[in-house]
Amino acid sequence: MLKGIIVLLLFQFLGECIAKFFSLLVPGPVIGMILLLVFLLIRKSSFYSLDNAVALHLRYLPLLFIPAAMGIITQIDIITREFWAIAIALFIGTLIALVFAAKFMDYLTIKAEKK
Amino acid sequence: MNLEALINYIHSTPLTWLIATLAAFKLGIIIYEKCNKHTLLQPIIIAYVILLSLIIFTNTSFEEYFKSVEIIHFFLGPATVALALPLYKNLKYIKSLFLPIVLTLFIAGVFSIVIAVSLLWIFGAELPTILSMTTKSITAPIAIITSQQIGAIPSLAVGFVLITGIIGALFGTIVFKLVNIKHDTSKGFALGLVSHGIGTARAIEISEKAAAFGALAMGLSGIFTAIFLPMIITFFK
Repeated sequence: MLKGIIVLLLFQFLGECIAKFFSLLVPGPVIGMILLLVFLLIRKSSFYSLDNAVALHLRYLPLLFIPAAMGIITQIDIITREFWAIAIALFIGTLIALVFAAKFMDYLTIKAEKK
Repeated sequence: MNLEALINYIHSTPLTWLIATLAAFKLGIIIYEKCNKHTLLQPIIIAYVILLSLIIFTNTSFEEYFKSVEIIHFFLGPATVALALPLYKNLKYIKSLFLPIVLTLFIAGVFSIVIAVSLLWIFGAELPTILSMTTKSITAPIAIITSQQIGAIPSLAVGFVLITGIIGALFGTIVFKLVNIKHDTSKGFALGLVSHGIGTARAIEISEKAAAFGALAMGLSGIFTAIFLPMIITFFK
């Protein structure tokens, strides 16, 4: 598994270096993710040690956002002030977006099948 | 016996909050599994409630808490890189419906951001909130790092991400029935695109194909949002 962990860290490192060097606005880890995807596409398969390292990171993924999420206690002001705007945007916005995405994809799929 | 030294140690070691955070999340998993994995009882929501209460009760500042558990936060980086593997495994499905996938990804992806931002703007929300809303449909690790990049508030962004995921998972199937969606692939893709990981977890209950399309949508929208959003926002600033 160590090899897999090194691969993940190395790709993140590469991504961050590229972002810094070319002053890109894309976050470094996302560049690392794209590089790993390209690497896998070229290699045409994953390997055991990488599978394990990925499983280790993704199994408890929600745990990893707890530290950032707790910052919510510093945002109580904004939330109470803009509660209704936020609630409406989240609830109505998400439902409309879901309907639009599913309907749009369904329409295109049916059209593609007819050809 | 030195009680003062003991109390000092408990206050200053990162172990205290590390153990509390891991234990709160573990407790979240136990409760979630005991309650038949109800969407509203996501392990992180339970951990959220427990830890917020603890932080407020012990009068700890967020900075102090964050410093103790920064090591957990660090793993967001490699975890984001790790997302390449599930995306790679589901990328083969892109060929079967290439044009519908690409068009939905971009058009519905942009629409999902525009509609939420417009609603906020209409109801008078301020810029930091609006910026934090732009990452609401992407998977949390990418949302956190992207929100830092665009000058949004990461903690608000994660909150919005989680609520968007839960709304999608709770109401997705009902809404799809109401508007008569025919293909499982469309349902899965919409769930992954709008409600990321939590939506994709729900798509597994529709069918395996739906889940694969959900994972595909989640991975692709995460990448493209992280690429284009910072550019667009810098352009408008």
